[in-house]
Amino acid sequence: MEPEGDARHPGRRVEGSDAQPAPAVSLRPLGLEDVDAFMSWASDDRVMRHLKRPLCATREEAVAQIRDTVLGHPWFRAICVEGGRPVGQVNVWPYADEGGHRANLGYALAHDHWGRGIATATIKMVVGRVFEELPGLERLEAVTDVGNARSQRALEKAGFQREGVLRSYIVRRGPAGVDARDAAVYSFLSSDRPRLA
Amino acid sequence: MEVTLRRFELLDVDAMMTWASDPEVAAFCRWEPYASTESVLAYLRDTVLPHPWFRAICLAGDGRPVGAVSLEPTADACRGELGYVLARAHWGQGVATAAVRRALAAVFGEVEGLSRVEALVDVDNAASHRVVEKAGFRREGVLRRHYWHKGRARDLVMYSFVSGDPLPQ
Repeated sequence: MEPEGDARHPGRRVEGSDAQPAPAVSLRPLGLEDVDAFMSWASDDRVMRHLKRPLCATREEAVAQIRDTVLGHPWFRAICVEGGRPVGQVNVWPYADEGGHRANLGYALAHDHWGRGIATATIKMVVGRVFEELPGLERLEAVTDVGNARSQRALEKAGFQREGVLRSYIVRRGPAGVDARDAAVYSFLSSDRPRLA
Repeated sequence: MEVTLRRFELLDVDAMMTWASDPEVAAFCRWEPYASTESVLAYLRDTVLPHPWFRAICLAGDGRPVGAVSLEPTADACRGELGYVLARAHWGQGVATAAVRRALAAVFGEVEGLSRVEALVDVDNAASHRVVEKAGFRREGVLRRHYWHKGRARDLVMYSFVSGDPLPQ
């Protein structure tokens, strides 16, 4: 029988375990100097297939991605754990023509760091600060593939409300043709933040 | 109620003015009522004529438009947002429902790569809820404070019609 394991011990990872607290997470801007860390998730199809961003196969592509889509981004942060190098990214993108009231949350975490509560801790930090940092923001929404239970749990634990399932929302072009996937839509409003006493 | 859909022409400006200038029609729309024929003409020329999918709603046997239906592109080619508008004289007679059904039958064949048509309806817009439901859309949920409409945050109901959904007769 395979021994049970968690992030600190070899063996099978315990899915979404609440048994130990998440490691200390911090957010900071991501720059060109982070390109090697960036590659650790941006080149991994297991991570990037949930996002609409392209896979970076080479260091040059990663440099171009950071230069073209990260540096000028309205709100883009590297996710760092225990004060170390980035292990993922999180970004909030206001929708065009919406006066900045509504924005989309996206994130990606290097596969080795899944199952440790980092995504939940990250999302909690984002909702704790982004409404001040993006004035006028009222609604943060997140859309995930209906099969992405991990992300849905992280959003729910961070206080997002599930609003419904959007049918055939995400279309992927694969070798077998076009595949239309359903998506779950979640939101966190500025008024959802806990009131200070 | 029989309707036909066709492309707009600049000559339709006077017919369009009928609904475009009406504050009751504009109430749930994203635009303010148009004040002049010149502004409607500019809208026809600059937005409607070059639009990827924008159609005039005509009653069977009558070439004059009584409204419009359009499919707005979104961030992804697979999804389009349906919008429609109808002159007040033709409300309550099933015209909008018939037009939306015609539009759904047409767009999947005419718009490349389309898988999903969405309709976002203000929670308080009861008439529009009835139109999209009768036209075969499926309700998916309420998007809270999704849209800032004329200075106020509004909850919208998301509906969808995907390729393969049955068109009601």
